[in-house]
Amino acid sequence: MQEQHIILNLNGEEKMWVGDPTTPLADVIREHFQLTGTKVGCRTGECGACTIILDGAPMNSCILPVAMAENSVIQTIEGLADDRRFQWLVTAMAEEGGAQCGFCTPGIMMTLWASSQASHGGQHPDYHAILKNNLCRCTGYQSILAAAKRVLGREVNAIEQ
Amino acid sequence: MSSEVTMASDFPAKISGRTQYVDDLHLPGELYGGIVRSPHPYAKITRVDIREAQQVAGVKAVITGDNVPHHAYGPTVYKDWNILACEKVLFVGDEVVAIAADSRDALRQALDKVVVEYEALEPILNPHAALQPGAAVLHEAVPDNRPVKIEFERGDVDKAFAQAYIVRSGRYTTNRIYHGHLEPIAVIANWDEQDGLTLWAGSHIPYRARETYAAAFGLPEEKVRINVPPIGGSFGAKYVLKVHVIAAALSMRAGAPVRIALDRYEDMLTAHPRVPLEIDIRIAADKDGHFLGKDVVVYGDAGARIYWSPNVLASACTRADSLYQFHNVRAKGNLCYTNNSPTTCMRGFGNAEMLFAVENVIDEIAEGLGMDPAQLRLQNIVHKGDTTIGGYHLDSCELEACIRQVITLSGWARRRDFKKYHGLGMAIGNHVSGYRGIDPRFDGSTAVARLLASGRVEIETGEIDLGQGMSGTYAHIAARVLGIDPSFITVQSGDTGRYPFGIGTLASRSTVMGGNAVKQACERLRNELANWVKQHYGPTAVLTGGGVEVGQEQHALAEVARDFISCHGGDAFSVKETYTPATELPDRTLYGNPSPSYPFAAHVAEVEVDPDTFRVKVIGYWAVHDAGMVLNRPAATGQVVGGVAQGIGWVTMEDFKVSQGQVQNRSLLDYRMPGSSDVPPVTVEFLETEDPNGPFGAKSVGEMAIDPVPGAISNAIAHALGVRGHDLPLAPERLWRIMQEQPQV
Repeated sequence: MQEQHIILNLNGEEKMWVGDPTTPLADVIREHFQLTGTKVGCRTGECGACTIILDGAPMNSCILPVAMAENSVIQTIEGLADDRRFQWLVTAMAEEGGAQCGFCTPGIMMTLWASSQASHGGQHPDYHAILKNNLCRCTGYQSILAAAKRVLGREVNAIEQ
Repeated sequence: MSSEVTMASDFPAKISGRTQYVDDLHLPGELYGGIVRSPHPYAKITRVDIREAQQVAGVKAVITGDNVPHHAYGPTVYKDWNILACEKVLFVGDEVVAIAADSRDALRQALDKVVVEYEALEPILNPHAALQPGAAVLHEAVPDNRPVKIEFERGDVDKAFAQAYIVRSGRYTTNRIYHGHLEPIAVIANWDEQDGLTLWAGSHIPYRARETYAAAFGLPEEKVRINVPPIGGSFGAKYVLKVHVIAAALSMRAGAPVRIALDRYEDMLTAHPRVPLEIDIRIAADKDGHFLGKDVVVYGDAGARIYWSPNVLASACTRADSLYQFHNVRAKGNLCYTNNSPTTCMRGFGNAEMLFAVENVIDEIAEGLGMDPAQLRLQNIVHKGDTTIGGYHLDSCELEACIRQVITLSGWARRRDFKKYHGLGMAIGNHVSGYRGIDPRFDGSTAVARLLASGRVEIETGEIDLGQGMSGTYAHIAARVLGIDPSFITVQSGDTGRYPFGIGTLASRSTVMGGNAVKQACERLRNELANWVKQHYGPTAVLTGGGVEVGQEQHALAEVARDFISCHGGDAFSVKETYTPATELPDRTLYGNPSPSYPFAAHVAEVEVDPDTFRVKVIGYWAVHDAGMVLNRPAATGQVVGGVAQGIGWVTMEDFKVSQGQVQNRSLLDYRMPGSSDVPPVTVEFLETEDPNGPFGAKSVGEMAIDPVPGAISNAIAHALGVRGHDLPLAPERLWRIMQEQPQV
């Protein structure tokens, strides 16, 4: 293994990490930086629990070599905690009952947050398409979709009301 | 009184990623543990060589079957577990050698350097092979490979069938289903000479785990302590697990904490799935559609060791007898050891499996009689006040109203006009709210209620919240008794060293068993506190929700709490109460009233089947439940929708493909579970009446949610195609084959 020095832009701060450049970003985030809000469910990019936001797009961090994240802007759920607009999503998920065991939830929150930052052209986006990379075994998705609709579809909701 | 919305207090932490599951926790000096597992379903171990593994830098412990204790132990009365295999391996994934090392790399290297040589033996791969004369004996204590045999008859079944106008029958099989918990199984174990064994492990029956693990090492129970961090999904997967025991054995050998965290591949390879059942069933009715008898023969595959499969078989053989009035019932159940990975409980627990068969046969009887299947159900169901043929006392039952309401909500009458490939199917179900047979010694619950110095009230329980909303429900119950806001209640559980004993979260028991204990404890706290404030503040003192009123004078609850503490040597006001239900231990024939209450539900599914690919799309779903009074509506609704989603997966896509004892599809890509687009909008309605035995009239909901789903969806598919599938899952390939076998018109 050849160690590399890698500079990461993590939650708005420049961080240095030294190690095997093929280490999954999820392990670096969780074990080196101790940001355990990013969960690991499969290590093969199939469940979405490890979703982080890379340059504005949701991404499975369990199959992303850390070196690939250099020169990118990385956001984990911890980095959004103080964002007032993120709390809007937190409230919607809580009120709609969008979490049960909660293990898939941070990943789903990151997916929804990334989508909420994009414009949907005054239309309801395809919520199923947005959530296609996130598995949840507890909720049956109905409550998550309701929260997504409240936040992502807020412009349309306002018109429909 | 209708219930208020109860929010779970752990929601903000979970949703913001602050909740820490087992694999998010770390102990100083902890080691990584891993396991060398058998690649054979059945084999003799001829050589184990660990010398090279021991030489790997960073390796701190290597253990084999030769250097671990050999006590007979197991989580049930069947003591067939070991810590590591000695002479033989009994399934693919059976544990042979375990290693602890100070880094992941060292662990991986050392695991690769272990040499195990085997002499492969002819494996037993299904229950019928297990019962063949001359079959290998997998456990010496059970020479016929059949640890459980159930046989009972109530009434005269042969006579009933002789008098029948119509009999419908079939062989139905249910498959191995992966629980699909998003958090893979993980544990941290720490051995300390003084304190004993401490585990951080997701177990929702931690006191049984404590008892089992103590037995594994010959320790007194007080030397084992189990901490339960939040559980990332279980559905029956995270009860009592060998991987916890192995981590403990490694920690004892290494003298350091040991973490074992399975990755998804290992979690699926070694998963203990839903018990596959083969059900031969026949039901008889007269010409007016009154049921005369039910006769079943069930074979269950326990796999290589006993987890909870005996109870699953018992539910399959009995539960449906307390849903319909069959009048004469007979069941023969056989649970067999095989060389498959041990199977265990999963939400629905044998009942959902049997209802899949029962509900299909009932639809066939309706077809045979030219009756509406809903009407046939209505005229044969149980009612409030009944003592069923299985011995259940139905103190509340809104099943008839549930069926009538789901007929209305789903637009049931539409089904007459559906074209081919479009179907509407109904199924109903019942369940328990706790089950006496789970632990013959005790099936109640204990709670502590404590008035903290801050004026908040703390509830301690031995039951476990695994995301179903138990804590929110208990907070609601406590708040309602005490007349304070639920946000002033903290519910604590998940540490066998601190909190009262609990049977745990299984058999849908937490709302009724634990809830009654919480209610009793809070009532006693309220009553004793009301007396004490009269002694302390004077006879005119009155306890209110917010504190104490003495004439014009007000004392906030925090002040009252501190005054009490000052008068009692620093001890907070605390009471402990135990709820013991008036249930009966089922007898040798499984007759008895095993639960304080029984929930019911009626479901309707609407499907479309693609005429080219035979892919089933569930396009509508309606679920009407009698869960008594609903105490935590968002959680109860979430349980139903989640249960329906799991049922959709079970019926239409999920299947552990096992060949020669080896799981073939060990990834979430190859074992597909429902995504958001696979679940249609689910309409959920609760018909609320008070059950006299529940806390504020509540009954259970968690498992009831999935029980009718296989029946409802498969009946809808049969309605859509005109032919009936008997083997789950009804995935495209299977439906295509069924259609090919149809005589071409």
